[in-house]
Amino acid sequence: MERTDLVSVVNLDFDYAHKQVLRDVNFEVKRGTICGLLGPNASGKSTLLKCINGVLKPRGGHVSICGTEVGSLSRSKIAGLMAVVPQQMTVVFAFTALEMVVMGKAARLERFRLPSRKDYLEARRCLDDLGIGPLWRRRFNELSGGERQLVLLARAMFQDTTILLLDEPTSHLDFKNQFMIMDKVHDITRAKNLTTVISLHDPNLAARYCTHMVMLKEGHLHFEGSRCEAIHPDVLGGMYGMNVMIESTGRSDVVVLPG
Amino acid sequence: MREHKWAIVVSATLLVAGGILAATLGRYQINLHTLKHILVSSLPGSSVEPELATPTLVLWSVRLPRLIMAVMVGSALSVAGAVFQGLFRNPLVSPGILGVTAGAGFGATLAILLAGNSGFMIESSAFLWGLGAVVLAYQLGKRSGNSATSLVLSGVIVSALFTAAVSFLKYKADIYQQLPAMVFWTMGSLNSVVWKDALRATSIIVPGIGAIYLLRWWLNPMALGDEDAMALGIDVAKARVIYILIATLIVAASIASCGNIGWVGLIVPHMARSIVGSDHDALIPFSALLGGIFMLVMDTISRTLPGGEIPVGIITAMFGAPFFAYLLVRSDKGAWES
Repeated sequence: MERTDLVSVVNLDFDYAHKQVLRDVNFEVKRGTICGLLGPNASGKSTLLKCINGVLKPRGGHVSICGTEVGSLSRSKIAGLMAVVPQQMTVVFAFTALEMVVMGKAARLERFRLPSRKDYLEARRCLDDLGIGPLWRRRFNELSGGERQLVLLARAMFQDTTILLLDEPTSHLDFKNQFMIMDKVHDITRAKNLTTVISLHDPNLAARYCTHMVMLKEGHLHFEGSRCEAIHPDVLGGMYGMNVMIESTGRSDVVVLPG
Repeated sequence: MREHKWAIVVSATLLVAGGILAATLGRYQINLHTLKHILVSSLPGSSVEPELATPTLVLWSVRLPRLIMAVMVGSALSVAGAVFQGLFRNPLVSPGILGVTAGAGFGATLAILLAGNSGFMIESSAFLWGLGAVVLAYQLGKRSGNSATSLVLSGVIVSALFTAAVSFLKYKADIYQQLPAMVFWTMGSLNSVVWKDALRATSIIVPGIGAIYLLRWWLNPMALGDEDAMALGIDVAKARVIYILIATLIVAASIASCGNIGWVGLIVPHMARSIVGSDHDALIPFSALLGGIFMLVMDTISRTLPGGEIPVGIITAMFGAPFFAYLLVRSDKGAWES
């Protein structure tokens, strides 16, 4: 039971046509943890998440979920195991919030079947759970950035998986909404005992919410370990290639600053 | 869907009423009373009254096959337009995006040049070359990344190739016999449709629209983009081939029967979206009905114009372009955004 819903990334190599993006990346994420994925721009964070999700096929190594290689699974099997909250989404067509959430059902529907009335009710409950129930009829495109991320989070909840992957969910949000989204992710991970992997730009958000951290630098694994070890001037400074100071705020929080 | 049942019911009623009205209109007027008599006397066991012989002939041999063809073609182009717009996440995409129109045009032109004026040869050649062009575009797109964008670009390339080939054939054609036939074919007309044509097109279009109807909801996640659709559990490459194949079949069947009728597949899905929203659950059946009504109206206009019949493709373009301009100016951001 100990190895249930363990995400393992083993010797992962990936390259786009001529450019090597990930080189020999290894780490594991245990159930019930929020794993923060940190790294400078173009360090391979998004690519790594896409490899975990099986959208990109690694050139070498593999990703496995409780011992099963992701590469050997069908798209619907993968979607039954993990849900993705994409970075920032604009939709060409004016789907409503509810229509967006119901799409989380796709992997569990049989061919030629449509979501039932019950599915729509459950999808609304997912919106309610995140406190945005009244938005269900609104058009996704007309929602604020924070509301959109919540709708996508509700969709991931409706997808009903044990693994949650989030690709920089806070990068286009204002100060307040960044914490709002992270609080929700934190609460959901606790409540449903999920395995959550989240890529973040801001080490302060990672320090506050992530119990485990993986850092990438130029496609290499720079660091993997617990929060206490990760939030260290040498580790963070080495990754970003700059001097970093860490100040304690007096409470349990720390603030990462340029040094 | 449930919220939009009324739209489906209203449009289905309008389609039937429009069909009855269109059957009475034309150079030879048949009033509703006569129409009823003809239909009753056409039942098995009844005999046609002598004074009804002419209207019966007009109705059964000329008007009905044409009405059916108009509805079929309108529905097929509209449904295919909605499918392609969803697949390529672009509301400006028309059913010809992958080269089916250009390919079919080439097929028809080639048949006119080589086989003279055989209707069957022209239709078969248009149908097969239309499919061939899409297969070519698809293979090219697959080799260049297999994304929605690479497919659209491949479609543009293949269309350009076939359009050039059509120009070449026209240049080589006999200017008194073949060239007018080629030009007329590309205008798109429902003139001279007979039962054989209507039934042949129906036998492809009805099952095709039926298949898309069964798969309609899955166009929603497909319309979010390749990566998102994959994350939601869809085998995007496979699903795309299936939709492209079915949509291309029904478009090729339409174009082969009556030439290139533009704008329908572009504007009807727009109108439908502004009424029932973007959920393909309601959009697909509503586009089919609205497309049928639209084409019925356009064709009735084209054959009842006082100055004599004008090819319906010209009417749809004359109506479609300003209508599209109106949609653009109104810029209803709710209907679509890009």
